[in-house]
Amino acid sequence: MEGIDKSFAGVSALKQAKLEVKAGEVHALMGENGAGKSTLMKILTGIYSKDNGSIKFDEKEVEFKNPREAQDAGIVIVHQELNMMNHLTVAQNLFIGKENMKGKFINDRANNEQAKLLFKKINIDIDPKEIMGNLTVGRQQMVEIAKAISTDAKVIVFDEPTAALTETEITELFKIIRDLRNKGIGIVYISHRMDEIKQITDRVTVMRDGEYVGTLITEECTKDDIISMMVGRVIYEDPKQTSNVPADAPVVLSVKNLNAGKMVRDVSFELKKGEILGFSGLMGAGRTETARAIFGADPKESGQIFVNGKEVTINNPMDAVNAGIGYLSEDRKRYGVIVQKTVADNSVMANLENYSSGIFINDKKVKKDSKKYVELLKTKTPSVDQYVMNLSGGNQQKVVIAKWLIRDSEILIFDEPTRGIDVGAKSEIYSLMNELVKEGKSIIMISSELTEVLRMSDRVIVMCEGRIAGEFSIEEANQEKIMHSATLRK
Amino acid sequence: MKLKKVVAMGIATVLVAGMMLTGCGKKEEVTPENTENTGTETTTETDTGNSENLTVEIIAKGFQHDFWQAVLKGTEKAAEEFGVTTNFVGPANESAIAEQVEQLNNAINKGPSAIALAALDTSAAVDAISNAQSKGIPIVGFDSGVPGAPEGSVVANAATDNYKAGELAAEKMYEAIKDKVTDPAETVRIGVVAQEANSDSITKRTAGFVEKMSSLIGEDKSTVEGHDKYNRKVDGAKVVIEVRIPSEVSDNAGKTEALTLLNKADLVGIYGSNEFASKCIINANEGMNKLGTDKVIAIGFDSGALQIDAIKSGVFYGSITQDPISIGYNAVKLAVAAAKGEAVTDVDTGCQFYNAENIENEDIAPLLYE
Amino acid sequence: MGNNSLKRVFKNMGTQKLIAILALVFIYVFFAVFSSSFRTSNTLISIFDSSYYIGFMAIGVTFVIITGGIDLSIGTVLICSSLIGGVLYEKGLPLALVLICIILIGALFGFINGILVSKFKLPAFIATLGTMMITRGFGSIVTKTKSITYPLRTAEDGWYKSLFRTGPIGNMETGFPTGFIILMVLAIAMAIFLNKTRPGRYILALGSNKEATRLSGVNVVKWETLAYVISGTFAGLAAISYIAIYSTVQPGSGNGFEMDAIAGVVIGGTSLAGGVGSIAGTIIGVFIMSILKVGLPFIGLQPHYQLFITGFVIILAVYADVRNRAKSSKN
Repeated sequence: MEGIDKSFAGVSALKQAKLEVKAGEVHALMGENGAGKSTLMKILTGIYSKDNGSIKFDEKEVEFKNPREAQDAGIVIVHQELNMMNHLTVAQNLFIGKENMKGKFINDRANNEQAKLLFKKINIDIDPKEIMGNLTVGRQQMVEIAKAISTDAKVIVFDEPTAALTETEITELFKIIRDLRNKGIGIVYISHRMDEIKQITDRVTVMRDGEYVGTLITEECTKDDIISMMVGRVIYEDPKQTSNVPADAPVVLSVKNLNAGKMVRDVSFELKKGEILGFSGLMGAGRTETARAIFGADPKESGQIFVNGKEVTINNPMDAVNAGIGYLSEDRKRYGVIVQKTVADNSVMANLENYSSGIFINDKKVKKDSKKYVELLKTKTPSVDQYVMNLSGGNQQKVVIAKWLIRDSEILIFDEPTRGIDVGAKSEIYSLMNELVKEGKSIIMISSELTEVLRMSDRVIVMCEGRIAGEFSIEEANQEKIMHSATLRK
Repeated sequence: MKLKKVVAMGIATVLVAGMMLTGCGKKEEVTPENTENTGTETTTETDTGNSENLTVEIIAKGFQHDFWQAVLKGTEKAAEEFGVTTNFVGPANESAIAEQVEQLNNAINKGPSAIALAALDTSAAVDAISNAQSKGIPIVGFDSGVPGAPEGSVVANAATDNYKAGELAAEKMYEAIKDKVTDPAETVRIGVVAQEANSDSITKRTAGFVEKMSSLIGEDKSTVEGHDKYNRKVDGAKVVIEVRIPSEVSDNAGKTEALTLLNKADLVGIYGSNEFASKCIINANEGMNKLGTDKVIAIGFDSGALQIDAIKSGVFYGSITQDPISIGYNAVKLAVAAAKGEAVTDVDTGCQFYNAENIENEDIAPLLYE
Repeated sequence: MGNNSLKRVFKNMGTQKLIAILALVFIYVFFAVFSSSFRTSNTLISIFDSSYYIGFMAIGVTFVIITGGIDLSIGTVLICSSLIGGVLYEKGLPLALVLICIILIGALFGFINGILVSKFKLPAFIATLGTMMITRGFGSIVTKTKSITYPLRTAEDGWYKSLFRTGPIGNMETGFPTGFIILMVLAIAMAIFLNKTRPGRYILALGSNKEATRLSGVNVVKWETLAYVISGTFAGLAAISYIAIYSTVQPGSGNGFEMDAIAGVVIGGTSLAGGVGSIAGTIIGVFIMSILKVGLPFIGLQPHYQLFITGFVIILAVYADVRNRAKSSKN
């Protein structure tokens, strides 16, 4: 792809973008969110049309008018957001648009068998007849990958494939990717996780603000080289050395023998004032479920919760909010923000009663206060009247944080706070969290990225299969110990 | 796989159950037991001999409407008097042809001694009527009856002579506007609002009015416009009779038509050929105040609280009333006679003009319903 | 293995449909026990008679609802197409061609709805609300508010009535409900179409996740439009069954028919959120409603009670489904 231009409603998204992928290589495409990676890939796979430039595929100039044409030519994409028909079966999802037919009718038996073969080939065990919606996110992702592979593709684009995968699933995925590479398939790999880039890719192309910055050979560069190309500055990702919390800090939240469903079994822990408590573990270890149970979003079977030493009854999120607990969901779009509302509206959502007289909402006050937090959190938005859907992931996250700060929550639960956020916004969120604890707030941070846990936490709790499998002070914690606990089967 | 199973399971069960039960139910068709009837029916234990076990299914053109409630009263009175069981049903509104046909089918399936029917539409009911005929269930018509029913299927009617009623309205209005419509200098207009152009009763009331009014004024001096059914174009005629029919039977659509008429400056008289049309005229006049003794003369049809109030307050010049109680009473009376195999003939249940003066009179007051 | 796949059939079939079948049987047996005259073939034929037009509309609109849309125009399209057909008949067009025209008019309105929704991205509710009003008004315009009467059974052109019933209601011999066979054949055909063919699969898929289906290289505009065309075509078929049973069509009527059809679809387990649905369920739902409608007068209740009770049935059926889904999503 060479000299690609694209603009939306006059706003330029790509300027002379460029990418070259060889057969049999894994090529990383990197850049901050909004750098134009996704747009470029959507042009490649026929979802958008380009304004200018040329795409050469097997030496031939091509232009795909729709995803179907790209697919037929052998270019497929594994999307970052799961694109699945949840009500259909796995096999039906796999073969949508290219079903095996028996005359005029779909031959579901052949589809199922072919799906089974496909899964065997990439070594995953999924029943093709299972309803898609019943699978875990990680397994759905595997199906999505299988779907991409099923088409005899020559180029496969992976758009952040590991965001929802567990460590073992990632290992499996990398095996699959290497297999594909050895078969001569060209792979474009988009990810924010530096260590993955180092691990799996051969070359790296970096984009910034819709423009091509450069291409490096992975082996010959360091993380910092790539990062500085992406943002123009160097970011340190060193682990935290010592806890910032004094040993005698008061306990603000204490959870005792919490049980809720299969995923939360007998969970007890304490959170100290000014502490960042990291919750680590594999996908599906019960961390989010624990958070939701504490927050009252899901019913709990038994257990006590103490806030500042006093027992509180939390039956629903309203109780939790009143007790001073705020929850930042892992799935922002679904639970965190209302994307069709403005920044201002979202900011005060949890605290409307303070912004209304009678049944009327005091818009002036809403705007004044949300503006204050936009400035405080350095949220990048043209105004507080901007719709949240127009903000980048990192800035959406800041709006959610503002929501809980306006509510004056003392205890904040961050569930995967940097998922899908680019490196620059990530470090802003990190420094924001550090500032918050300095001001005396206390934070529970659920994260699947070990580097993030080690960098941010004062203390680390590891969960496995719904139970607490280990607890480490930051001084003693390291990747090996955490992974050991996380895979500890009782 | 799954689908076939479900289809098979569901439908087969019903069919099989249905067919099986059909077998054992058949015997009882001829002499139905009515132990299960409990609805709006009236049973009396008075000893009137052989009519004790008779049942009459009454299918009206409406149910909740005041008029039909007055008819219901008449049927109840007759049920008590003759010691029969009656069951009164009617569709939700007068467009609901399908609903009424279903009610008629149901009534026949219950195997009554006789059926009294005011059909919304005869062609829709024709299958059901011949079914009743083949089962030997006599049908009597009431109110608008069953116009154009197959020969011999409806034994008699208890109904207002609607054409006559329309004529009466024209005569009464002519009395009041005679001066204005006799060789006027400028065009004058008489408006007619009709609920629809299908039902026999409303058509006759409208035609009776339009034709009588034309002949009173003079065929060559009046022209009729507004609807194909009644149009009679006379060039140069100074009196225009304009018939308007709403696109659907709703208060709003009817009011729109009435408003259109009231907004015409040359309007001298307006006639609504049933309670609905009269109500629409009253509603349209609200806020316009064009109706009154010295203003536009309005004559309505039937009664109802709104219309009675309009007459008492002088907004309406007067109205024609049928006798709904008599209609209901005579319908059951005819049905009972027919069920017993007696000879029956049509009954004219009569109509009256009433206005603010005679509204309280003994012969008028009982005919009116709120 | 056999046991397992059977289990899956039940799981996928959903509690709601099971409840619907049981309810259907229960209601029929209930009336049959309490009223001897309900247990006649006549009554059964009456039930069929009153099910045809709702049934056809419901089959068609099931496809639209599966896409996550809604078609409010089917009732008035039914009336409008039979009114236009009536005018054509009065103008001398042979009846067979008139019937074909009725279906084509239905399909045309469905196509208009489909284009508005899929291509011009109008919300289905608004687009079909618009065509509902247009067709309602148009029917009155072409007939000048006069009602249309199709030939009676005894007339020369009365043959079309035998498509749905061979004669007057009397017994199975004289008035055999041929319409039931047509309804069932079309229902099964459409069920196979929905589950076993590509267009059906794509309609299910785009109802579940339109964007994902689009990204799979499926022409979603085309298939979404098709769902509305099916809905309109079946409204046309419903129109034929309507005139065959009731002969007379009145302009301005037809309001509320669509809600009866949609209620049948919902009782039958099709989710208004899209992605799930079955024709079998729809047929069961429609029959539950018509058995209620026909049966209640037999135990001495006025027809208003049908509405009253149907309301409860809908809420109960959908509640069962919601509960069931909440439970299964937890595991």
